[in-house]
Parts: sequence; structure tokens; C-alpha cells
Amino acid sequence: MSAAVDRPRIDASWLTPLKALLRADTAAQLRSYRALALTLVLPLIVLVVTSSGKRAAQFGSPDIRVGLALTVGMVSIGAIAYSTATAQDRDRGVFQRLRVTPAPTWTIMGSRWIVQAVAVLLMSVVVLVVAGVVQGVQLSADGYVLTLMVALLGGAVFLSIGQAIVGLIPSAETLNAAGRLLYLPLIFLSLFGHTNALGTPIELISRWSPGGCVETLLSAAMGASAWSGEAWGALLASAAYVLVFAGVGIRWFRWAGR
Amino acid sequence: MTATPPATAAPRLALRVDGLRVRYGPTIAVDDVALDVREGEIFGLLGPNGAGKTSALSAIEGLLRPDGGEIAIGNVDARVHPLRAKAQLGVHLQTTSFHANLTLLEIVRLYAGLYGVSLSAEQIRGRLEEINLQGEARKRFRELSGGQQQRFSLLIATIHDPPLVLLDEPTAGLDPQARRQLWDRIERFRKEGRSILLTTHSMEEAQAVCDRVAIMDRGRVLTVDTPAGLIEAHRSDPRVREAAHGEVTLEDVFIGLTGRELRD
Repeated sequence: MSAAVDRPRIDASWLTPLKALLRADTAAQLRSYRALALTLVLPLIVLVVTSSGKRAAQFGSPDIRVGLALTVGMVSIGAIAYSTATAQDRDRGVFQRLRVTPAPTWTIMGSRWIVQAVAVLLMSVVVLVVAGVVQGVQLSADGYVLTLMVALLGGAVFLSIGQAIVGLIPSAETLNAAGRLLYLPLIFLSLFGHTNALGTPIELISRWSPGGCVETLLSAAMGASAWSGEAWGALLASAAYVLVFAGVGIRWFRWAGR
Repeated sequence: MTATPPATAAPRLALRVDGLRVRYGPTIAVDDVALDVREGEIFGLLGPNGAGKTSALSAIEGLLRPDGGEIAIGNVDARVHPLRAKAQLGVHLQTTSFHANLTLLEIVRLYAGLYGVSLSAEQIRGRLEEINLQGEARKRFRELSGGQQQRFSLLIATIHDPPLVLLDEPTAGLDPQARRQLWDRIERFRKEGRSILLTTHSMEEAQAVCDRVAIMDRGRVLTVDTPAGLIEAHRSDPRVREAAHGEVTLEDVFIGLTGRELRD
């Protein structure tokens, strides 16, 4: 073969494309008002509602209520907002346009995961600050660090669920409907994991559901319960959820809409 | 048109495809396709719906993994070094879109970054000015008209100054003015030293802008030549004569070779 024009001097590393994607995905995230509302407003509403009046006692200690607000935020960001935005971009052809560039494929999705993880961290900081100021929930320095680490793990659990949803459901419209249907069970399973409201079998399922495990971990991290065998079990279960759901979501993900 | 190379020298190739095969389950979409695009050439890929044009193009673009064959972009083997090959390509997809919440400025910055090209805000504005979109820099892509979207999409495709540009039905849905503007732009790409591979359903377009065209059908390349050469070579083909109403045109050759039946 003859030598062709040798013009573009392209930076072949993955870092430059990843930086460009991170900047773009962050700007897109900040301009999505629906995503922002789901990210910040909803967890705060849950925090206020579960902490007011007679309901507060039903939902357990303040730490558990904070954990619930954080879990709602994570479900909203990871399972719902991420999967919906990803499916919409897929339908519009945004991913195909990105895939014809020399950016490694993993950076396209990796950038989105990083932005969502940062959103989970920000949401967690806001919820913890509001809980501290309004409800007097104070943690030790170690407690804050551990809680934020658990929030990241929880974010990964729900992001992997979001990835599985967007991997298995090919169209944005169907996904939107399915997301709404999944949202309530994910939240309610988290909600009742630490109450006896629905009886023992449901509580058991609830405790070992993705939301229940994250709740258990948050509760342990915030010091409401000692870091017990159950917390270790929840940690292992959470890691398994990430592996299984992310595996399913990546295996069946299609870059192009139908 | 391009300067004719000396008779003894083989033309330098911007793209070489050989034995390309793409299957979707039991369906063979691209079957042993071979084609070369020379440096500085505008090459048209014609074919009815379902002929395999977009599948062939997708394999060249790296959007799908071919089941067999070789693809070389310049001197880069695209199957061995896909990212290096993509860096040599400018791509305009048939249906394209960009992040819905980003402005044109931000989209240019994103794609420049993806190709490792560093552009200042002033340089980005300059690029937008070249395509008369300087006033739209803060708009979203979806807020542009069809012609503006095509111009912007072409700007993104060439933001890294690629030697080979792939255009999948670039003038589909454009009004005559926008179509002519786009032809001028394609001609300018060639003058800048680029090679262009485009797919189109418009025989007028193929005749107006392409140096050579290939007609594809049912996954195979039926014939390759200059538009005038194709007409000359198939003028006396009974199928072409049957399709012709008077003087034989490229469209008559196309219909004669690919048939009259409708394709989905």
C-alpha cells in the first residue's frame, strides 16, 4: 500500500479525550434541571418528610433517616437519571458520533460514570450538611469519611442497576416507563428494610435488596449500628450487585438506538 | 479535477478496502467488497436501500466489526490499530446528533479535545465564522436549521484536518441552495488535499461532484468507474437501454444494473 497523507498529529493517549468528555458531560449534567432536581431536591424532601412529626419514630433513628435520604438520592441519580439520559443520547445518535472519534470506547461511558459518582458525592455532602444543621445529626470525622465512601459504593450499585436497565431496554421511551415502575420498588425496599411494617419475610428481602444493603452500610458508617457481620455481608452483597448488574449492562449494551 | 499522475506511478491511496464482509446473523450485508479511494479523489458509493453502503461505511468508520477483509486508512491497518485509523478519518454520519445541552462552542471544544486538537475560544469562533455560524455559537445543535446542522456537522468531521472524509448521504433532506453550498464545501475539501468517500442516492450529486463512483447492490460492488466512463461502458447494455428515456444518464445505468423493484 502506498503511503498516504500523514497530516493529523493526534494525541493517542486516553487522558485528553477523557478530559474533554468529562468537561462536556459535567456541563450537560449541570444544565439538566430534571437531573439536578432528582439529585438534590428529592433527597432533601425525603429527609424533611421522614423527620417530621410522628413519622420520625417510624423510620428509626436520625442516622437511618439520613441514610434513607441518601439512598433515595442514589437511586434517583444512578438508576433513573443516568439510565434515562443514556438511553436518550443513544436514541439521538450521540454515542455513534462519539464512537467514530479516536477516543477509546471505555472513556465515553467512563466519563459519564465519573460525573454521576461526583453527583452522588455532592448530593451526599449536601444531605449530610442539611441533616447536621437542621436535625443536629453530627458524625465523627471518620464517620463522615466512611459515609462518603459508602455513598460512592452505593452510587456504584445504583449506577450498575441503571447500566443494566439501559443495556436490557433498547428504547428511551420504554426505559422511561420502566424506570418509573422500578423506582418505587427500589425506594420502598430501602424504606422498609429497617422497619417491621410489612412483616419478617418482606423485611428480609428488603434488607438484602440493593437499597437495603446500602442502607445497612450507611447506617453502620454513620455509627448507628456497630460495623457488624451484617454490615460485612451487605458490603459483599453490594459488591456482587455491582459486578452482576454492571456485567449485564455492559454485555447487552447497544451503542445505537433502534 | 485532480492532476493525472504519471502513467507509471500507482496512485497513492487514502483508503483501501479488500474482501470486506459484514454479516447480521444469517444475512450477508457486505460481501467481498473491494474499493480504493485515491488521494485527492471524491469517490461516490451508490446503491439502492439495503445495498450495503452504510454497513460498508460503518465497518470503515469502526462502528462495526467486519467478519472479514482488510481496511487500510492511508498506511494504517484499521483492524489492527482502530484508534489510529479513526484519527485519520473525518466522519459525517447519516443521522447525527450531539449532546442536547451543549452549545456549539462547547461541542467544538469537545470534539477538538477528542482528537487531541487544542483550540482557543477565538479559534473556535473563527471556525464557526467560516461556516457562517458565528452568531449561533451559544445555541444548541437542535436549534439550528437543517442546512446549518449539516454545515456544523461537517465542521466537526474536519475539526482535526483529516486526510480522508467519509460522508454518509450528506445532502439528504437539504434544499437546493444548501445542497449546492455543500457541494462547494466538498470541492473545497478536495482542494485542501483531502480525499472524500460519500454515499448518496442522488445521481445528480454523484455526477456533479464525484471523480469515480461504485455501484453497489445486495452487498456487492457491481462496477467502478468515472460517471462518464460508467455511462460509456454500459450504454449498450439492454437493461440500461430499457431504463433510458433518450440520452443514457448515470441514473439509467444505476437502474439498469440494480433493477426497478422498490427496496425497503
